[in-house]
Amino acid sequence: MTTFRESFLQQVRLALAAGQRAGMSPSLEDREMTGYQGAGPNPLQRFQEEFTLAGGQTHVVEGIDAAIQSVLALLREKTARQILLGRGEFLDRLDLGPHLIQLGFAVQSIDAWLPPSSRDATFAAEIPISNAPRPTPHASRPERDAFFAADIAISGVKYLIAETGTLVVETRAAEPRSLTLLPLVHIAVAHHSQLLPDLFDLFDRQQLAIGNGLPSCLTLITGPSKTGDIELNLVTGVHGPGELHVVLLLE
Amino acid sequence: MRDQYHSSMTQYARHEHHNFQAASREALTNAPLQAALVRLTDTLMAGNRRGFAALPGGDQLRDHAKRIKEHTLAHLDHYLEQLEASVQKAGGRVHWAPDAAIARQVIVGIAREAGCRRAVKSKSMTSEEIHLNPALQEAGIEVTETDFGEFIIQLAGERPSHLVAPAVHHTRESVGRILSHYVGTQLPDDAQTLARTGRKILREKFYQADLGITGANFAVAETGTIVLVTNEGNGRLTTTCPRIHVAIMGMEKVIPRWIDLPVFLKLLARAATGQTLSVYTTLLTGPRRPGELDGPDEFHLVILDNGRSRLLGTPFRESLQCIRCGACLNACPVYRRIGGHAYGNVYSGPIGSILTPLYDSINKNPHLPHASSLCGACQAACPVKINIPHMLIGLRELQHHARPNRLEGLTYRLWMQVLRRPLLFRLLQTLARVLLRPAARNGWLQRLPGPGSRWTSQRDFPAPAPESFRQLWKKLS
Repeated sequence: MTTFRESFLQQVRLALAAGQRAGMSPSLEDREMTGYQGAGPNPLQRFQEEFTLAGGQTHVVEGIDAAIQSVLALLREKTARQILLGRGEFLDRLDLGPHLIQLGFAVQSIDAWLPPSSRDATFAAEIPISNAPRPTPHASRPERDAFFAADIAISGVKYLIAETGTLVVETRAAEPRSLTLLPLVHIAVAHHSQLLPDLFDLFDRQQLAIGNGLPSCLTLITGPSKTGDIELNLVTGVHGPGELHVVLLLE
Repeated sequence: MRDQYHSSMTQYARHEHHNFQAASREALTNAPLQAALVRLTDTLMAGNRRGFAALPGGDQLRDHAKRIKEHTLAHLDHYLEQLEASVQKAGGRVHWAPDAAIARQVIVGIAREAGCRRAVKSKSMTSEEIHLNPALQEAGIEVTETDFGEFIIQLAGERPSHLVAPAVHHTRESVGRILSHYVGTQLPDDAQTLARTGRKILREKFYQADLGITGANFAVAETGTIVLVTNEGNGRLTTTCPRIHVAIMGMEKVIPRWIDLPVFLKLLARAATGQTLSVYTTLLTGPRRPGELDGPDEFHLVILDNGRSRLLGTPFRESLQCIRCGACLNACPVYRRIGGHAYGNVYSGPIGSILTPLYDSINKNPHLPHASSLCGACQAACPVKINIPHMLIGLRELQHHARPNRLEGLTYRLWMQVLRRPLLFRLLQTLARVLLRPAARNGWLQRLPGPGSRWTSQRDFPAPAPESFRQLWKKLS
C-alpha cells in the first residue's frame, strides 16, 4: 500500500529550503518564569474564586466525616437515583458505598467491571502497551449502558489547579473517561494537598510521567459543560455534566 | 422579520461562493444579523482584553509563544517525524494527506476497514476545509455534527459563520424551529429546553456511533499527545464512546515539547473568550490502554498539507502560526459588520482573508485582501501576534503584480513628470485652487467629479488652501 509520507515530507523540506533565511529561526527557549501567575498567598481561596466563576461549586470540609456528610447533603436534594461511584485516593477513604445505599440510591461501583487484579492498582502503575493483551471488543461491553444510565457521578481527582479553577482527571482502569463525562451531576472529592498553584505546575509534574508513559486521556475540567450557541445565552449541561461540585478536604 | 433574515442568510450560508461584495451588502442590511454580530464580538472582545490583562507577563508570554511557533515551522519536517514516532509509540497510527482528496480517501478507508456505519464529529475547521462530510455520506456512513451550534447548522444545511459560535446568525426562535422540525413536535423556544433537547438527541447518536472524528488544536511531537479544547463536552464524548477515533489536523498544529503546551493553553482560551481555560481541555495519547473500560480501540492521526507547504516557503509562513482562537474576527471592524458567510469560505475574518486566497486562489477571492482598513486590531488581539496587516499588503502586492492596472501605471508616470517640473506643478496647483475652492464648505469638498466621486461618496476631501505654502513664505520673508 502506497503511503504519501515521503512525498509529503519532501514537499515540506523543499518549501523550507526555499523560504529559509538567516535569522528566521529562533531557537527553542526555556520559558523560565514568563507567564507564571501562581495562586497568590491563598491558593485555596483562589481556587474557589476561579472555580465559582467558571460555574462550579466548592464545599470545603475538615475531616472524613464532614466530607461524607457534605456529599450526602448534596445528594439528598436530588430526585435522580442512579449513582456511578468511582475510585480515588481520597474518595476511597470516605467509603461512600454503604451510606449511599442506605439513602436509597442505586449505586454502580466501577469496581464491578474490573478484573480483580486492577481493582487495587496503584495510581501510578502503567501497563506497557507492547505486551498488552487485546482489549475486549467494543460492542460487548456491558458497562456502557450503566455509564449512559447514570445520573450522578462521584469521582476523585488527580490535581486541582488554583490559577484557573480546574479539576485534573487522569484516566486509568478504575477511573474511566465516562465517569466524569456522562452523568448530569458530577461530584468530585479532593484533598488540599492535590492543589497546584498554576497550570504550568501541572505540566512540570506530568513531565516526570513522560518516561513511563502519559495516561491515554488527561482531562482538565473547568466548570460545568457550557454553550453560548443560542443567542449567546450561557446554558449548562449540553453534553457533559451540567452541575459540578468539589468536596475539598482540608484535614 | 426574523423569518426574512433567516431565509436570506441561508442563501449565502449554504454554499461556498466568491461574490464577496454581494454577500457583504446582504449582510449589512440584515438588522438581526448585525445585532447578533455586535453582541457576539463585543462580548468576546471584552473577554479577550480582560483575559490578557489578568495574565501578568501576558505580553511576554505571547512573544514566547510566537517564537515557539516560528521555531517549529522552521523545522516542521523534523517535528512531524517526531510526532509520528511518538503517536506510534503510544499505539496510534499516522496517515499523511498531501491534499483534501487524499485526506477524504484515507478517512473513508479507515472507516471502511473498521466497518464503521455511524460517525459523530466534534467541531473541526480542518474537516470542513476538506469537505469530509459528503465523502463519508457517499460511502454510506451517517455523519452527525455534535457541537450544538454545528448540529443546528447541519440540520439547516448551512456553513458555520464564526469560529467559536458557528450558529451566531440564528435566533432562539430559528433554532427552535430547526429542532422542532427535526423531532417532529413543537418545542418551547427557551434556550435551556432547546439545549437539553439537543443533548438528548446527540446522546443517542454518541451511543450508536462507531466512528468519532475530531480535529486537534495542538499535537505534541515529544509525546504524541493531541489536544482538544472545547466547552460543551462533545469532544470528550466523540473520543470516548465510538471504537475508532480519527483526528485530522493541519500540519502546522504540531508543537515541539510537552512543556510548550501550557504556553498555548494559557493564551488560547483567554484570547478566544476571556476564560482562564475552556471548560474541557482533553489531552489524548494513543488509544485506550488494556484494562480501561472506555475510550477508542484505535486512534488514527491524519496529518494534512492541502496548500500549507506552499506557504512555508513564502513570507506568508507567519499565517501558519494561527491557533484558531477567533480573536481577530471579534476585533475586526469589517468582520463585525459582515459576519463569516460573506467571506465565502471556511476560514473567515482577518486570518481568513489571508488563508482563503492562499489555500483557494487569489483570483477567486480578489476582494478579501482589500476587506480591511489595515487598522491592526487583529494583530493586537492575536495571542501569537501574527502580523496580519503586513500579509494583507503582501497579498495586495501579489495581486498588483499579477494584473497591473494600466491606468494606474499611466497616472503615476504622468504624476512623476509633473513632480519633475516645478513650473508645471505650480500651474496645476493654481488651477486646482481656482477650480475647487469655490465648491469648498468650511475647508472641505463634499463632492469631487469623475473618479474623485468614489472618494467623496464615503468621506469629504480637503479643499486646497487659499494660499500655497510658497506664497505664504514669500509674504513672511
